[in-house]
Amino acid sequence: MKALWSEMSHQLEQQKKLTNEIIMNMTQERYTNKFKTLSNYESIGAVICFGIGVHILTNFGKLDTWYLQACGVFTLGVLFILPILVLNSLKRIRNLNITNTNYKETLLNYSKAKQNLLKLQQFGIFLSFILMFAVSGVFAKIWSNKDFFTVERNFWANLSILFAIFFVVVCSYWGYRTYNRVVRSAENVLKELE
Amino acid sequence: MPNKEEFVRIIKQHEGVIFKITTMYTDNRDDQKDLYQDVVYQLWKSFDSFRAQSKFSTWMYRISLNTALTRLKKSKRMGNTVSIDKVILEQTENYNPEFEDKLKQMYAHIKQLNVLEKGLMLLLLEGKKYEEIAEITGLTPSNVGTRISRIKQKLKQQIVKE
Repeated sequence: MKALWSEMSHQLEQQKKLTNEIIMNMTQERYTNKFKTLSNYESIGAVICFGIGVHILTNFGKLDTWYLQACGVFTLGVLFILPILVLNSLKRIRNLNITNTNYKETLLNYSKAKQNLLKLQQFGIFLSFILMFAVSGVFAKIWSNKDFFTVERNFWANLSILFAIFFVVVCSYWGYRTYNRVVRSAENVLKELE
Repeated sequence: MPNKEEFVRIIKQHEGVIFKITTMYTDNRDDQKDLYQDVVYQLWKSFDSFRAQSKFSTWMYRISLNTALTRLKKSKRMGNTVSIDKVILEQTENYNPEFEDKLKQMYAHIKQLNVLEKGLMLLLLEGKKYEEIAEITGLTPSNVGTRISRIKQKLKQQIVKE
């Protein structure tokens, strides 16, 4: 393996192709920050959440029973707090100092930050299940002045609720499995190093 | 502001190393190019902070490995991935397909290792001594030795399995 590696290194030495211009381009305008892109998506999501939150806040007076008010408070909590936590988590990963730390420290810091972000997203998936009912209650009242929890529903309304539940369950299960796998691999790295 | 000429000269001098690291930590040509740019950018950003307390190559390995490690993939690219079909980029007169196949096999074995093991293996193949590997990774030299013998064992098993 070592001989093969040396031969490859030798051949790579002979086919150097970077020019001064390419190198400087890489360091400046052509550089795109992957975390920045991800943060941009999350920021757009956060603005949408805040917008919906403000809409609920301005119509909060229409929620006239204790359980609808509880749904409203829960929805507002999720819409305002969760995006901030996710953006903070992303910021933590983005600001990891990789220039003054060694490989082991970076691996530890990164795994911890990644675990934190993934657990938060995992938590968000579970919250979405409760959120689905809470949001339905809140918007049924605000938009149609109907109590979602007591109103009589026809067959199609019940079917669409069942479909929505099925959809959220499938998404939650898939998301949970995916995140669990990634979190476990981050945990293994930490166990190995600590 | 870092010294541009000095930076360009050093990057040119070490471009093979950056190529090897980025190839080890990515699965397709697009990702490899992205990571290559990230590494060069990080080196540029931290070039001023290099205090010559350690060898330049030690510092460069550290920054490159750290960059590879903390690179967050947006998502799996769909459809337009270009697998790393060639390790040696250009078909020169000396281009040898058999050698290329062996290289691909070697990379395939190394890619099965975990991130820390990959880094250690790369440094070992680069001919670094345990002390220097320890300086780059933050492990103790004895720990480096233990881990490397485990990696060798693992690779042997992988190769025997085939």
